[in-house]
Amino acid sequence: MLIDTNVNLGSWPFTFALNRTAAQLTKHLAASGITHAIVSHFGAAFQPEPTPSNRELFAATKKSKTLTPLPVINLRLANWRDQLAECVAAKVSAVKLLPTYNNYSLRDKVVGEFMTALNETKLRLVINMRYEDERHRYFALNMKGLPLSDLKLFLKRNPKTHVLLSGIMIPEVNELAKKFKNFSIEISFCEWINSVEDLVKLLTAKRIMLGTCTPLLSTRGEVDKLRLSKITPKAMDLIRSANAQQFFNI
Amino acid sequence: MRIIDVHTHPVFFTKGRQKSELRKLVAHGKSHGVKRMIVLGDVLNYGGTPNEEQLRLINDETGGIQKMFPNYFVGFCYLNPNLGEKAVMEEVTRCVTNYGSKGIKLEIANSADEPCMRHIAKACREFNIPVLQHSWSNTNFRPGMDSHSDPDDTALFAQRNPDVNIIMAHLVGIGYRGVIAAKGLDNIYVDISGAFPEDGLIEYAVEHLGSDHVLYGTDIPIRQSAVKIGAVLGAKLTNADRQKIFFDNTAKLLNLN
Repeated sequence: MLIDTNVNLGSWPFTFALNRTAAQLTKHLAASGITHAIVSHFGAAFQPEPTPSNRELFAATKKSKTLTPLPVINLRLANWRDQLAECVAAKVSAVKLLPTYNNYSLRDKVVGEFMTALNETKLRLVINMRYEDERHRYFALNMKGLPLSDLKLFLKRNPKTHVLLSGIMIPEVNELAKKFKNFSIEISFCEWINSVEDLVKLLTAKRIMLGTCTPLLSTRGEVDKLRLSKITPKAMDLIRSANAQQFFNI
Repeated sequence: MRIIDVHTHPVFFTKGRQKSELRKLVAHGKSHGVKRMIVLGDVLNYGGTPNEEQLRLINDETGGIQKMFPNYFVGFCYLNPNLGEKAVMEEVTRCVTNYGSKGIKLEIANSADEPCMRHIAKACREFNIPVLQHSWSNTNFRPGMDSHSDPDDTALFAQRNPDVNIIMAHLVGIGYRGVIAAKGLDNIYVDISGAFPEDGLIEYAVEHLGSDHVLYGTDIPIRQSAVKIGAVLGAKLTNADRQKIFFDNTAKLLNLN
């Protein structure tokens, strides 16, 4: 089993990234050996309100045995409790925050209120750091990565919540690892000559999952980052699937 | 599948100098099918505008790496065009004579559209070697980084010097604009090194430049072989195109077996 924790349906502006159907996406992922994927919808990053794209995500993945929906809650909007309630009703295992794309800070008061509500639901939390490298994206989208100082404060304020950080880069992981253990990462934006080997030493394999950021990045390239890494079979098993199975209750 | 990596920095900010570390890098490369690595030098160790002495130190280190593993590493001569014709020609002559340098490497000392680039063109002609120019789209770049050659700058250099072969580095960094800027210029090759593997760009480059003009490269140690190789293998290309990108184009350009 190979589980990809960073896959997306929908369109991304200013790119030629393919907007695949769920069936096309499943076929594309399978070509790189991915047997299960955690899927969000890009619409939640750009549309005024995430509910329509979350609903589209639920509908697209409803009959799929390989795609697990990961809806987005937009905490900038007054209806975030309704958004959360709809996710609970849909029986998802986790929700995702896009603070930068949705124009709020992890320092905002509402984040504390959200965490209280989230803890009552038992849902797991994924926080997006970025979808693109700000050094080489199209000029018309000027979005910075999630401020690390905000994330540090969030991790400090929520020591009992273990979050999955999506789109994090290696220097950021190095910085966070000095003080915090209440996070895991997916590896789509982690790259160095021996990235996975180094990350296993830093975090242990228990806190690492596969992520490809499909369709923005090369799925095969990101899978091979893990597949060809020189780590123990046990570590490989954890990163390939076991950690994601546990986190997302697959 | 045989592979030549046209863009590597075995020593990066002084790390990787030891023979044991280089031996590991060779083993790493071979485990991925990489038959040769082009060594571009520890180019930012002294900042973006190294002087003559600093260039000699960097190039001697590259030469030393070649001599330790002559069947694996191939060196390029790193230069700062701002130092003038005399300094450029002396250093290229020294590198080609002493180390058999197969090309010239340029980083961020100046933009490729500046007049000092004529010295580089002269050196390329005299020694019949290509130049690899760091290139990155400046349309969305950090302030104060205007000495990075925008793909339009590198393309202008190619237009001015049609008899000089130019490797425009960093496909993802130059992006679609870069491919469009290079289109129709037969003396430009684009390497796929650097940056995260944006999906679809390799296919776009092959469609518009031809598979003869796309070169495999990583930017090791900043990037990793598995990702770059996987990006080529995952791209919708023919095996013949992949073979050109992985090996044949660079072998032909640098006269390597």
